Amino acid sequence: MPKNRLWNSEHPRIKELVFVLRKLKASPLSIAGLSIVLLFTFLAILAPVLAPTQPDRDPYIMPREGYASTPKPPNTEHLFGTTEGQYDLYYGVIWGTRSAYRIGVLVVAVSTIIGIAVGSLAGYFKGLIDEVLMRLTDIILAFPGLILAMALVVAFGRGLDSITLAIILVGWPSYARLVRGEFLKVTSEDFVEAAKAIGCSDFRVIIKHVIPNTIFPLIIMASLDIGSIVLTAAALSFLGLGADPGYSDWGQIISLSRNWITGAPGNPFAYWHTFIIPGIFLFLFVIGWNLLGDALRDVLDPMIRRR
Amino acid sequence: MPAQVLGENEQLKVEDLVVRFYTYEGIVKAVEKAKLTLMKGETLGVVGETGSGKSVTALTIMALTPTPGKVEGGHIYFKGTTGETVDVLSLKEAGLLKIRGKEISMIFQEPNAALDPLFKVGDQIAEAILAHRLPEMLEKANQLKKEKANNSSFLKSLPILRNRSRDKLLQQVVRKEILELLRLMEISDPERVIDAYPHELSGGMQQRIVIATALACSPTLLLADEPTTNLDVTVQAQILDLITRLKRRFGSSIIYITHDMGVIAEICDRVAVMYAGSVVEVAPVLEIFKTPLHPYTKALLESIPRPGSSFKSIPGTVPNLVTPPSGCRFHPRCYHAMEKCSREIPELKEISKGHCVACFLYGDA
Amino acid sequence: MDSGLRTYLARRLLLVIPTLIGVTLLIFAVTQLFDPVERASLYVRDPRQMRAVDEIIQKYGLDQPTYVQYLRWAEQVIQGNLGWSKSLNMQVIDALLTRFPATVELALFAAPITILLGIYLGKISAVKKDTFIDHVTRALAVVGWSLPSFWLGLVLLAFFYGGLGILSPGRLSPWAEALVRTGEFKVYTGLYTLDSILNLNAAVLLDALSHLILPVATLTIINVALIMRVMRSSMLEQLGKTYILSAKARGLDEKTVIDKHATKNALIPIVTLSGLLTAGLLSGMVITETIFQFKGVGYFAAHAATQLDIPAVLGFALMTGLIFVIANLIVDLLYAYIDPRIRLG
Repeated sequence: MPKNRLWNSEHPRIKELVFVLRKLKASPLSIAGLSIVLLFTFLAILAPVLAPTQPDRDPYIMPREGYASTPKPPNTEHLFGTTEGQYDLYYGVIWGTRSAYRIGVLVVAVSTIIGIAVGSLAGYFKGLIDEVLMRLTDIILAFPGLILAMALVVAFGRGLDSITLAIILVGWPSYARLVRGEFLKVTSEDFVEAAKAIGCSDFRVIIKHVIPNTIFPLIIMASLDIGSIVLTAAALSFLGLGADPGYSDWGQIISLSRNWITGAPGNPFAYWHTFIIPGIFLFLFVIGWNLLGDALRDVLDPMIRRR
Repeated sequence: MPAQVLGENEQLKVEDLVVRFYTYEGIVKAVEKAKLTLMKGETLGVVGETGSGKSVTALTIMALTPTPGKVEGGHIYFKGTTGETVDVLSLKEAGLLKIRGKEISMIFQEPNAALDPLFKVGDQIAEAILAHRLPEMLEKANQLKKEKANNSSFLKSLPILRNRSRDKLLQQVVRKEILELLRLMEISDPERVIDAYPHELSGGMQQRIVIATALACSPTLLLADEPTTNLDVTVQAQILDLITRLKRRFGSSIIYITHDMGVIAEICDRVAVMYAGSVVEVAPVLEIFKTPLHPYTKALLESIPRPGSSFKSIPGTVPNLVTPPSGCRFHPRCYHAMEKCSREIPELKEISKGHCVACFLYGDA
Repeated sequence: MDSGLRTYLARRLLLVIPTLIGVTLLIFAVTQLFDPVERASLYVRDPRQMRAVDEIIQKYGLDQPTYVQYLRWAEQVIQGNLGWSKSLNMQVIDALLTRFPATVELALFAAPITILLGIYLGKISAVKKDTFIDHVTRALAVVGWSLPSFWLGLVLLAFFYGGLGILSPGRLSPWAEALVRTGEFKVYTGLYTLDSILNLNAAVLLDALSHLILPVATLTIINVALIMRVMRSSMLEQLGKTYILSAKARGLDEKTVIDKHATKNALIPIVTLSGLLTAGLLSGMVITETIFQFKGVGYFAAHAATQLDIPAVLGFALMTGLIFVIANLIVDLLYAYIDPRIRLG
């Protein structure tokens, strides 16, 4: 049967993958992380099904019923109630999953690409190029990320695209350092000297040895990073630097609840749904990815060291 | 504790020791029914390859089996200066603290790693002294104070300051003791060394410190785990000399772990050969070289490179201790292996006077 | 002080200069993202000057090549001219300096608590590895690290302020604010807790402290995981080392071995980590101060950002860069002091 053949494959990469999956099954925290991540992935994919859109409206804009400012609690019409301005909260948090993934995946992907490019250049050519590039990463890393991102967003103008770009610019140095580190580690090992001695070109060495060694650390870094990327983006959105009100973005939705956290006279938690619900979505998303990232690191790291 | 477990001249007896390590890869059966006997005042060499279980056994003698190891069977009978025989493995923390550093001490393989980098070496030796010889030191401090009392001022006799001056005197006394110890280690400038940090000293010097710490309380049993392996050859010779001289002076017995047969020949009285967690042969040192009995011992001696002869190594590899070979653990690599060897485990039997071997080739099964 | 330490200190101090230059370069690079008219606001000390924009562009060479602009701008920065903040109607430098004490006060409470709590939890976690306590503390740490800081702040406010009504946002209650405004309460440092001690005013002290509880709690909960995780792995690493075994072999009891030897060695990476923690706290300030209406530099910066007040945001970024560089310097110096091995090289 094809599945068994894959499972028992002798190919070293497949064996590692099987090992990883088996180890992941062992810890309850990693199962929790994996489940949460899978759940959110499904939510994101099935968003149009779970919260149907309208043909003439941007799907990311939440439908609103009226313009009254006072939020309405969960009822039969609006599963999670409405926010300030009568936006449907259910719709917002479902499509907010897509927003979160969009930013997270985009930032991670681009940061990784830039990181690989810069890191490889620095690690391969060494010397002056390495010095210059490393100073650059040092300077960027000398700033707290949120603050530098904030400055960039002010420069680019509000919006989720600005936020995405800003976080990419602030985040790529970590990836570059990782790749560069692997480069230096691998190129200093004897087998590289040996490979070159028998005539392997530098390019071949890079492709066959360096890149595979960086895959696992990059995966770990990426999965641990998504959580903080989404948190930073949400924070910037919350401050008002992201999308306009009405957009399905968790940070933005939470900012709509700021005036309502003290509730109504006599009922301090009257509007709990406006901040609790989107907050839980955001929190679970982040903790799911953090748990998964932690689990991957525990599993993959000792393996790397064993090699 | 049965008083007659240890004979008149016996100091330590390891009986059927079983130590297992619970790791990610499985249960490592590191030590499997090991047997050792140590006589008073003798130097017993323990030789074997990496993975033979010799270090684990030594650490277990002090009940310091490193995690994730667990002792799962056996006894370690020890008779110290009190004359009482105890089973180390049955002692609780309180009892062990009295033994470690005082009755039984250990010298480690990597002297740099054995010292805390953040503390001066003098302070680390002082720890051992203060842990076990405090009453003696206090006594000396008091004596010193009495001598000074005649010349002391009125202020020093005030109660608050009395304790502080006593502490200072204690410090002085201990410092003197340490300097004396360092001189014994043949360190020519003890005043400088006592206040040095470990990384400021050479490897040989660091090892002298480790030895000084081990001997600070005159232990009856000294465990030496490859103390010279990580040192320069010339320094090795010096340290070996030192250990021999100190042994004579302190009268301790030594268990000397090494993989170097040359060292064994030089300083040991008897030798125990370990393979894959068990003791396979024990004999007086001359006999081990003249008439090795166990196939592994023979192979070990033959594999020592000699000028003129070809390079002979033992075929096969050290066994995987998670799934060790059945029966005698050496049988896959043994030229003389019989059918029985893969089924049963041979017991350590005395073949001739003082010469024991665990092999089906000898004695009756 | 031996010569090894001296050369290390000298070298480390000298390193600050290029780093600071680098920081200014980066901020300057960001300024280049704006067009000259917008950038002009970075150079004015008075909004009326903005009417003569062309003059400003001339004066500071905003249409000149980049390196010229950089030098002119750097010159202004060193003289303390960070531009005019339109959102606060004052010079940026003044806004930063007047609001800085509030942030310092918050940090002064949050940092030690976070570090000490992190060390303690990390230590127990390591010593009692794989037990219930270990799992619980690690779980709590992950939870804390994953919480959105702004959300945590809101929830805490909703519960304690909205629900229980015992704590409130801001730095002081209205009656205490009145005292400050009228001058009855003399402000010496800008840190209300310190000032109330200097004023011998217990009531204001209690009020200031009660207003610090929630913001400090928020910052601590989020950041303690960082310290705890490193402390745990650092402790575990030390506990596996030979010198620990050697200490036990000397006859030292478990407690002494852990507290005296393992912990001291394990703390070394924490010192370096404290530098990173500063970054975390600075970022956290922006959000926390906003949520709790705690009028420090973070609050100011967030407010300025929403108003697209460029000089204010950039001035704030510059300031945080400076703080970070200094924090890392202090950390490196401390490191050299603690670890005798560093002084050798």
